[in-house]
Amino acid sequence: MRAIATTMKTALIEAWTNRKSFWLQVSFMIANDLAIVVFWLLFFRKVGTVRGWDTGHVLVLFGVLANVTGIAMGILANARRLGQMVADGELDAVLALPVDPLLYLLVRRVDTALLGDLVFGPLIFVASGHVTAESSVVFVVASLCAAAFFVSFLVILGSVTLFIGGRGEQAELGFQALLMLASYPIDLFGGFIKLLLFTAIPAAFVTGLPTRLLTHFDWGEAGIFLGGSLGAVLLARLVFHSGLAHYRSGALWTRA
Amino acid sequence: MMLAIEARQLSKSFEARGRKRRVRTVEAVHDVSFSVEEGERLAYIGPNGAGKSTSIKMLTGILHPTAGAANVLGFVPWQQRMSLARHIGTLFGQRSQLWAELPARDGFELLAAIYKIEKGEAQRRIDELSDVLDAGDLFDTPVRNLSLGQRMRCELAASMLHRPRVLFLDEPTIGLDLVAKQRFRSMIVRLNESQGTTIFLTSHDVSDIEQVARRVIIINHGIVIFDDKVSRLRRSLLSTKLVEVRFDSPPAALELDGVQVVKESGTGYKLVVDTERRSIREVLDELLDHHRVADISVVDPPLEDVIARIYKEKV
Amino acid sequence: MSWAVYAVAFRSSARRTVQAPGQLVIRVLFYGVILGVLSALWKVACVVNGGTIAGYDFRSMLWYLVASEGAVIAINPRLIEYIGVDIGSGGIAIEMLRPISVVGLRIATALGEALVRFGFAVSLGVAFAWFTVGPPPDLAAVGLALPAAILAIGANLAAQHSFAAIAFWVNDSKAAWFLYQKLVFLVGGMLLPLELFPPLLAHISRFLPFWTMSYVPARLLSGHFEPWLLLVQAAWLVALMAGAAVVFGIGQRKLEAVGG
Repeated sequence: MRAIATTMKTALIEAWTNRKSFWLQVSFMIANDLAIVVFWLLFFRKVGTVRGWDTGHVLVLFGVLANVTGIAMGILANARRLGQMVADGELDAVLALPVDPLLYLLVRRVDTALLGDLVFGPLIFVASGHVTAESSVVFVVASLCAAAFFVSFLVILGSVTLFIGGRGEQAELGFQALLMLASYPIDLFGGFIKLLLFTAIPAAFVTGLPTRLLTHFDWGEAGIFLGGSLGAVLLARLVFHSGLAHYRSGALWTRA
Repeated sequence: MMLAIEARQLSKSFEARGRKRRVRTVEAVHDVSFSVEEGERLAYIGPNGAGKSTSIKMLTGILHPTAGAANVLGFVPWQQRMSLARHIGTLFGQRSQLWAELPARDGFELLAAIYKIEKGEAQRRIDELSDVLDAGDLFDTPVRNLSLGQRMRCELAASMLHRPRVLFLDEPTIGLDLVAKQRFRSMIVRLNESQGTTIFLTSHDVSDIEQVARRVIIINHGIVIFDDKVSRLRRSLLSTKLVEVRFDSPPAALELDGVQVVKESGTGYKLVVDTERRSIREVLDELLDHHRVADISVVDPPLEDVIARIYKEKV
Repeated sequence: MSWAVYAVAFRSSARRTVQAPGQLVIRVLFYGVILGVLSALWKVACVVNGGTIAGYDFRSMLWYLVASEGAVIAINPRLIEYIGVDIGSGGIAIEMLRPISVVGLRIATALGEALVRFGFAVSLGVAFAWFTVGPPPDLAAVGLALPAAILAIGANLAAQHSFAAIAFWVNDSKAAWFLYQKLVFLVGGMLLPLELFPPLLAHISRFLPFWTMSYVPARLLSGHFEPWLLLVQAAWLVALMAGAAVVFGIGQRKLEAVGG
């Protein structure tokens, strides 16, 4: 645990050394997030409520999503690059150390630009008008669980590269699709697509369920959500670790 | 002496996608067996794609072999990777284990945490390594601002921090200039002699082999083709000597039995003597008797030529 | 002579894009997912509002999105990043040794890749929209939409090259890229037509270059025969190309001065 904590600290210090561009990047990121919010403001201004979703609802969704991306892409920046790292043989350096490789790898790099999301998330949640003492707790816990789903998804997709080779394209596509689908109200979709969002591309667990818990809390759903995120983490670990036996490092000719 | 490394019929094959996505199997390492005693300095060499890195990665537990067995310091690397990692150090010339934006010292602190080295002990060890490696204030400069030679010394310190019993170095001198290379080599030798660290080194640089290793294993196409002392490599494999001779005036014709003229320019000649056909003494006598010799020297052929010839030989 | 060089760069980049289809497939699939999602969104939105929103019914809105998303997704999303890296690493300095315009050659190369992606993406988009809502509302306007899409991509590439040139002065151009991208998404009309904006924002958007990169071809494809839009695009394209050339010129002199 000391190793992982120190690694995280070092990653943050490294990110912090370049402070000028740190603040520039954080503010650009917040501007970037705001643009999406402006889209929804414009949308609801013209369209009105859609299947129970109004501006406040969508702001809750983006509050959770910003936290998730802040954690999954900012603090655990390597999660998204796992497939590519496998392809480039970058696991070598990790595997030479006496640490849990997956955990170490995830905390090894921080993406400063996306830390802005962690500022933006709570702010936008406050702006949604859904804040109470209870919902604040739910907001934090649900964001953590949602991030666990997101990261697990990325790790599983990246680990697939260990088995099938390639450059991790499937991980990039899955990432883009999940991020995109998670940024829309889940009730827009029905039938087969909705089923997909609860299974193959688990957008339902990244924003759908957390948003629902924050607007209509239910203990049963909360329990399923918590248990599910734990299961996702365990599954991701299992897939990664069984993939390690197939790791082929970065020898050039294996890519022939 | 205790064995540090033992490999028995170690093999690794990869599936590679060739043209038109056809899958073919490539044997990177085939039936490799050898053992290394503790405290040895071994060079493990071979041409590009011979299987050097693959071997190192199997011995450090990074890659799982397709077949065969290995034992490093009593551990099966790919099954007990984490336990083994505490006792070995690795240094890959083309990959950094330090953090580019931070001084090496910060990276060492992180490694100390990873290897569970107690803080005071880590500090003592850093000071000690700073001494051995003539580091001066290198450890306090952000790694990004170091020259490659300086960076490699920091990398070496990072690899040695936890007092590994075996140090694996994969092409550590690649890209270094001549002076930095020599310095780096002498440090490795010093670490081996002062701390008893077993050195397992791959390189393309013949001087690395000559100046660091006492024993050399050559592999090609995944198979061990030579395993002996470095001094023997030169003598046993090439039964030739190089004679450089300068005459007072250009000789009319230089034809000697068992001698090949490889270069001539005016009065200067370069000759290769096949010592299996004629002894070097006979050749020298003949030269001195029949010609007016101004200067003469006899040397072993360069190790580079020896190794190149071994590489080219069909297995 | 120099035109032939650009044509070669364009063709070989187009060929490369087809020959290594990994990225192409991903982008086209992603485009398909976006269209699916936005189609679900606007279908519900139109139903809620009695059929039309700001003059767009579901049919014209879906055709709008086919073009607005297609013109943007055609461009490699990491283009700016790559240009920034080449500038930072001094790769640009090597290109500067060649006797042709660096920025011209780069834009020709990027255009080759972008038009191939656009072709594949829009084929999928047309099939999807046709299947969902039937043919585009106005066939005459469709004839204008194709050249408008090419102009849109050209203008976008030129603008990205001006933007990426920030890397001549700042180390990391990623943050600038995020902002640029969101400007295209929003005031460029990629996510929703300018007609849905509040009047002031719509007005401002029409004075910025971004609407020529997404809104114009989409507006045409959604059944509005407005040929003058092409003139606006052409004017902006010229201005942005000139801007990119000037910015690269300054940056190159800077590189020459400090030696990359």
